Amino acid sequence: MGKAKIKIDKHLFDKIKRYASLAGYSSPEEFITHCLEREVAKLDEAETEEEIKKKLKGLGYIS
Amino acid sequence: MKRREFLELTLVATLGSLARPSFIYGRGQKETPIKILVLGMDGLDPNIVSRLIKKGSLPHFERIIARGGLAPLGTSIPPQSPVAWANFITGLDPSGHGIFDFMHRDPENYLPVFSGTLSEEPKKKISLGPWVLPLQGGKIKLMRQGKAFWQILEEHDIPSVISRMPSNYPPAETSQRTLSGMGTPDIMGSYGIFNYYTTEPGEINPDIGGGRIHQVYVIGHQVEATLPGPVNTFRRDRPEASVDFKVYLDPINPVAKIVIGQEEFILKEKEWSGWRRVHFPLIPGKSISGICQFYLKEVRPHFKLYVSAVHIDPSNPALPICTPPDYSRELVSQLGLFHTKGLPADTSALDNHVLSEEEFLHQDNGFLEESLAMLEFELKRFSSGLLFFYISSTDQRQHMFWRLTDPDHPSYDPQLARFFGGEIERIYVQMDELLARIEKYIDSRTIVIIMSDHGFNPFARGFNLNTWLFETGYHKLRNPWIKDKGSLFEYTDWSRTKAYGLGLNGLYINLKGRESQGIVNPGAEYENLVRELAQRLESIIDPVTGKRPIYRAYITREIYHGPYLDRGPDIILGFNWGYRISWGSPLGKFPSEIIEINQQKWSGDHMGAAELIPGTLIANRKIIHPAPSLTDVTATILDLFGLRIPVEMKGQPVLKIT
Repeated sequence: MGKAKIKIDKHLFDKIKRYASLAGYSSPEEFITHCLEREVAKLDEAETEEEIKKKLKGLGYIS
Repeated sequence: MKRREFLELTLVATLGSLARPSFIYGRGQKETPIKILVLGMDGLDPNIVSRLIKKGSLPHFERIIARGGLAPLGTSIPPQSPVAWANFITGLDPSGHGIFDFMHRDPENYLPVFSGTLSEEPKKKISLGPWVLPLQGGKIKLMRQGKAFWQILEEHDIPSVISRMPSNYPPAETSQRTLSGMGTPDIMGSYGIFNYYTTEPGEINPDIGGGRIHQVYVIGHQVEATLPGPVNTFRRDRPEASVDFKVYLDPINPVAKIVIGQEEFILKEKEWSGWRRVHFPLIPGKSISGICQFYLKEVRPHFKLYVSAVHIDPSNPALPICTPPDYSRELVSQLGLFHTKGLPADTSALDNHVLSEEEFLHQDNGFLEESLAMLEFELKRFSSGLLFFYISSTDQRQHMFWRLTDPDHPSYDPQLARFFGGEIERIYVQMDELLARIEKYIDSRTIVIIMSDHGFNPFARGFNLNTWLFETGYHKLRNPWIKDKGSLFEYTDWSRTKAYGLGLNGLYINLKGRESQGIVNPGAEYENLVRELAQRLESIIDPVTGKRPIYRAYITREIYHGPYLDRGPDIILGFNWGYRISWGSPLGKFPSEIIEINQQKWSGDHMGAAELIPGTLIANRKIIHPAPSLTDVTATILDLFGLRIPVEMKGQPVLKIT
């Protein structure tokens, strides 16, 4: 799987390093990946709820 | 199953890997002494039939009734089509067949799910670069429980043809000829999404349920556009499949040539294309086929092109729409392409001013004509057993044109009423003409049953159940100041919520042990809360009309006792004449007012208390029961063929054979 780099504020990264270690993550990268995956999943979910609504709306009885 | 897989996964079937039904029944071969023809006319109202008979407008109905009879037909609670037709199919009540509404809720996440169908993703998949390929088939499962009456007929070798039966998608396992009806999705897996291409998108609300508005540009007498298709589940990123198309405008005349895939055709302004095949590419060498209609609404000054929902192609169905699997292909070979989406009339396009009244009627009359040709085709070879045929136009016209029959309706428009005020009467007359057209196929052996699932009433005022629950403290929101902005309960505080409304008639208790964040204890707390809510709901008074919006609040556990009780709501609302659930409440919205005026074109409905809107039973044999119900018709069919009525069935025979 390919990798991509992103830039992050140094002060924030220091905090991430500290909390990643405290929370038992093996590295700051693992912690960041986990957080981002969780947030993206939420967005995916929200989009799908919108889709559910649209598909149901074709029924005519609801708006 | 995750919500994202709700409908998209059905498309996995396009590789032909869908689990085909294993036919356990043998098609009936027996020569029966009688034949039964059942015409299901959705929403046919007994009061309107009687009124038009008195007026002399329905002579062929009158002749059948003179030989037999007409009676109000007790409908289901609630009187929604999927529920009512499931009562008829199985002879059971909703707690026996498991269908309580168009939509149920998932108690895990409080979101709506289709009540009739469950899509399951293939369990094993392989990833190849951008592709995800299933190693075994996904499944689309019919959630209706109970044996269909034609399965019982088949066990006794009695043949039947079941055409467009609602609440039967995917079709129940049988080798009898069946074609699925209401509940059959379009190619997107939805109840129907049209596309509208316009250079003037500002005139239409862009957030249309049931449609998508596309802004296009005319450059050098050409328009380039894209027709969206199903989600491509074979790609890891699950994009929408689509087909590009071009429209070439004649520089002088109001004419255009449309080129889409293999199809190339010319339309004049205000002309319909008929069915056109479109292919959505999924993976190299594999595409999914659908059919749709194009309507060139305007060429100049503004370009406007309507494209209907893309239906499953009956000549090459990507999803299971019939039994045996080649039945739809046989029909196409005899009759040409035909609509397959359960409810084909584009009520959303009419409601949102994309199609005018005249254009809507033109399209729906085309759908009706396709149905009648299919009925005649089947009648020509109907020599034994049973033929069921379903018509949706009766229901859809009453939904859309009630407003123009009643000057007191909030959506009444005197100008439109001059031209379309007689449309409801006209569809009843069209049904009478249908009877005239098929008269020659009805011999002395043929028992004719005409039935509907419910009647109709005006929808003038909408009741916001969730708003009422919030105002009365049964439902808590995290940030009530923006309550009317969200939907699907996105601001609900479930840790303090006792009840919620979802679907068209349903109220659910946030029950501990059933709902994922339930707080109401089973037992006395639950029982008392349900009783308290039912009483309070029935005593609400609309301050504007002085009427009770809710005529009956049925406590589900008091009226039903079957094994699928838990799928349904705890209270089923039966609305009063003129009322219905509001537009927003069924999907977990909290509009500001408890009762709102309905100003939509969708203006007639049938969410009332069952006793207020019975369906219709007409037969050319005497009706011997004073108050027959849907499940009695099922029992009658079995009885007429001399079969034992299963003990679990609720009904009893209601026709007298002389």
